[in-house]
Amino acid sequence: MFGYYLNLGLRSLRRHPVLTALMVFGIALGIAASMTSLTVFHLMGSDPIPWKSSKLHYVQLDNWDVNEAYDRDSGSLPDQLTYLDAAALMASSKADKQAAMYKVAMPVQPENPEVKPFLALGRATGSDFFAMFEPPFKYGGAWDHAQDSQQARVTVLTQETNEKLFGGADSTGKRVKLDGVEYTVTGVLNRWQPRIKYYDVSNGPLSEPESFYIPFTTAIGLQMGSAGNNNCYKNAEPGWEGYLRSECIWIQYWTQLDSSARLAEYKSFLDAYVGEQKKLGRFERPLKTKLPDVNQWLEDQKVVSRDVEIQVGLAFAFLLVCLVNTVGLLLAKFTRKSAEIGLRRALGASRGQLFMQHLIEAGVVGISGGLVGLVLTWGGLFGVRALYEDFKNVAELDWQMVLITIGLSVLAAILAGLFPTWRACHVQPAAQLKTQ
Amino acid sequence: MLKMNHLSKVYRTHLIETHALRDFSIHVREGEFVAVTGPSGSGKTTFLNIAGLLEEFTGGEFLLDGVSVRGMNDDARSKLRNEKIGFIFQGFNLIPDLNLFDNVDVPLRYRGFGAAERKRRIEEALGRVGLSARVKHYPSELSGGQQQRVAIARALAGSPRILLADEPTGNLDTQMARGVMELLENLHREGATIIMVTHDPELAARAQRNVHVIDGQVVDIAAEPRMRGLGVVVPSAQHAAQA
Amino acid sequence: MEIRPIVSALMRSKISLVLIGLQIALTLAIVCNSLFIISERLALMQRPSGMNEADTFSLSSIGFGANFDHRASIAEDLAALRTLPGVVDATVINTVPLSNGGWSEGIALTQEQKTSTAPTAIYFVDEHGLNTLGAKLVAGRNFRADEFSERDRNVQGWPPGVIISKPLAEKLFPGEDPIGKQFYLDQLQPANTVIGVVEQLQAPWAHSKRVAEFSTLVPQYLIGNNASRYLIRAQPGSRDALMKQVEAKLGEINPSRIVREARSLQRVRAESYAEDRAMATILVIVILSLLTITALGIVGMASFWVTQRTKQIGTRRALGATRGSILRYFLTENFLITTLGLVVGAMLAYGFNAWLIKNYQAASMPWYYVPVGCLCLWALGQLAVLGPARRAARVPPAMATRSV
Repeated sequence: MFGYYLNLGLRSLRRHPVLTALMVFGIALGIAASMTSLTVFHLMGSDPIPWKSSKLHYVQLDNWDVNEAYDRDSGSLPDQLTYLDAAALMASSKADKQAAMYKVAMPVQPENPEVKPFLALGRATGSDFFAMFEPPFKYGGAWDHAQDSQQARVTVLTQETNEKLFGGADSTGKRVKLDGVEYTVTGVLNRWQPRIKYYDVSNGPLSEPESFYIPFTTAIGLQMGSAGNNNCYKNAEPGWEGYLRSECIWIQYWTQLDSSARLAEYKSFLDAYVGEQKKLGRFERPLKTKLPDVNQWLEDQKVVSRDVEIQVGLAFAFLLVCLVNTVGLLLAKFTRKSAEIGLRRALGASRGQLFMQHLIEAGVVGISGGLVGLVLTWGGLFGVRALYEDFKNVAELDWQMVLITIGLSVLAAILAGLFPTWRACHVQPAAQLKTQ
Repeated sequence: MLKMNHLSKVYRTHLIETHALRDFSIHVREGEFVAVTGPSGSGKTTFLNIAGLLEEFTGGEFLLDGVSVRGMNDDARSKLRNEKIGFIFQGFNLIPDLNLFDNVDVPLRYRGFGAAERKRRIEEALGRVGLSARVKHYPSELSGGQQQRVAIARALAGSPRILLADEPTGNLDTQMARGVMELLENLHREGATIIMVTHDPELAARAQRNVHVIDGQVVDIAAEPRMRGLGVVVPSAQHAAQA
Repeated sequence: MEIRPIVSALMRSKISLVLIGLQIALTLAIVCNSLFIISERLALMQRPSGMNEADTFSLSSIGFGANFDHRASIAEDLAALRTLPGVVDATVINTVPLSNGGWSEGIALTQEQKTSTAPTAIYFVDEHGLNTLGAKLVAGRNFRADEFSERDRNVQGWPPGVIISKPLAEKLFPGEDPIGKQFYLDQLQPANTVIGVVEQLQAPWAHSKRVAEFSTLVPQYLIGNNASRYLIRAQPGSRDALMKQVEAKLGEINPSRIVREARSLQRVRAESYAEDRAMATILVIVILSLLTITALGIVGMASFWVTQRTKQIGTRRALGATRGSILRYFLTENFLITTLGLVVGAMLAYGFNAWLIKNYQAASMPWYYVPVGCLCLWALGQLAVLGPARRAARVPPAMATRSV
């Protein structure tokens, strides 16, 4: 019977091509608008590391000015740590894994005279970084804890940097000159580009990925300043040592805590640490520490911008208009068919059968709208990528979204079709049969 | 075959109550050709709608093929309508989007026949009305008489127990009307049970029996012993006999 | 035109009435709020930065290797740049307006106060800074060549004389002559004195409401990390050619460095407001699509009504209605439906705005958006219904006697 209904639906739609086109176009446009914004929303807001996002916790302490909160409007805690605190937490190593990190920028001086020196962004961090965030290695591996403590001059390159410097060959053991200092390559990553740079939201969740990694301790030893955000509420004492002792915040600190018991333990450890520091005259604000996991952190930092949220809201309001429009047109169409519906009733069709027939007709409109909508969504995302340069990783159609698009449009069309169909099936057969 | 006893039908709106049928009794036996006549507004169409299970009635009793339809739900009525009743309308009511084959196919689809069975029945029905050659044509390509013959084929295809015709020649010119009437007479001769609603006394005269309806009541039953010479049935008498 | 019969006819097809009305209501709410957001963004983007953007560009130099002498390199570069043909002026500067990255400080008026009076962006420039920026000095004087100092990690405190932007001067010293007034960039150090005021100079953070117009120019060179940024002002019309020339020239002067980020100030502005422009563009597309859908919906429904009432229209014509009166009937009917939708839509529009204010700290929509939106939708409705209405007017009176 399904085939018969489908056939009838197609015939009926072909009979009024303009009306059909209006309905399909309406649904397609509504679907495209909502799916375009939803895709961006979904990709920006989705869990970047679902298998362990609840174990990775960012560390937030409140070392700020006693007179003024870090964020005057929301009162939220500082989004980075001082060197003093990062170093102290690293030294006590109380978490299952931990990594302090900051953004660096260094000139790369290739051996090959044909390759011009270039400025590369990198990350100074600990060896645990690789175990925590799990970037895939192509060659070699991370440096080890011993090298961390020895301030070893070692580096992990990304695939792109390795391509540039070594033509993609296995470069482990080779040397790379960064700002006049030679580093030994311990490993090369495979292509790794999380959609959201969730481990360093403070310096832009949509910013370019780094090109190399070096030990945090080595970078500090070489007096390498941060290329990222640096915030001070009071001025540092002179010199690099003065800067390291200052209340300036410029370091991100992540921990891996494998159970909720470990999380609770670490939280009390942090509170105790801040308590100790208070005795030394630091942390003059009320004691407050936070350990948000990856998703809470992304939410706290408003990674999904308010513009994107407004766009999603607008797009769904727009879809609602398109749906109301489709309800109206389907109602018009089915009302025009009352004579035929009455006749079919007289010939023995039950209400259920007619309901199915018309719901399938609405479904056909939905699927067509979905397919056209998919093409428009694809175009919409292309437009979004053109409008927002940074969005290139979060404005891509994936299979999940394709299926959701089709599903949503069929659902939308069927929802829009329910009322007209219900009305159609309650046509009084006798009334329609006399003279048309 | 079709038996109504003291049937009543009241249309209610919030303003008025209209008694379309009152104390309406009729008995149509298998193989009969009955013409229901009466002035417009007399209740002919209401009778036909109720007989065809298109409308429910308010009071009384209605047996179709020995089954009481009172209180039957919509699905059961649809099924009964599909299996036992063939409709022929004044306005033909063919579906313009469908060709003749597909038009005749409509009730068979709801019957749930297989493809081969449907094809056989459709071809046979169109053969009986003499339109075998035009299965691929669309209604708009046919004359009114031909369209009505398609409608009759559609009514026959499901082998109904009873044919209900509502002014079957009302939209046709004399010559075409004659053709359609002859077709109905032939079907009757072959054993079909037919109830025809008409206001045309000439057509009614060609039926085996006439039932005259005025103000929603059967007022007079004229015996027409032309075909099989069945006796007069006075409603009240019949009712008495049944009780 | 009599309204009552139209109303009573409409009341008999309530569902269609509700559907079209709802569509118009939602459209009005979305269109008004979107237009308001667009106008806000445009206003934001149109604020002047206070500098010459058309002829200026900036680029940065990062030296490497043990032999790189940052101090000497700056002097050498500036000397070369200032003598290059086509260059009006050049300065070393830590950042440029609208670039979203820079140095900020809190200004205090007394040494004792606990919280700062105003935040400010810091621009480190030399005496060519004002001329290169094209900032207009409205009071006081420019820096003198002898006022310059160097700043690295070991330097504490600030040079005594600074130039501030006029909005900052008004914030710090409302209604007073700011020249010669003092404030503290660092409360532990000697006070700074205002020696000059520029008409306007935006901070690097154009989207920060607190600091956007507050800038302080400080006569210092930043040295120590081998990185410098130069701002160059070209002769009108020669900017793009000069940009390439300068890039090459700096590479020539000292090859042990990387010259990068050569960007015109116009590009800096475009990148700074990319998100606002994107939002405005998206909203324009939403508005246009929405109006199209709504117009098509009205056309669809009106056509359906005309078809459904063909016989009725024929009857009216047979009874003496003119074509004009049939046309007017449909136009009036549409006007009534639209008006109903607009009444609901006006409430929705203000409700939506209230929601945005509550959740997104949006501004309150000026009153005139809704009436203007209503006028547009009335016009749209009348235009959309015109086609079907004209078709209705062409229905021949003979339709009344046709049976099918």
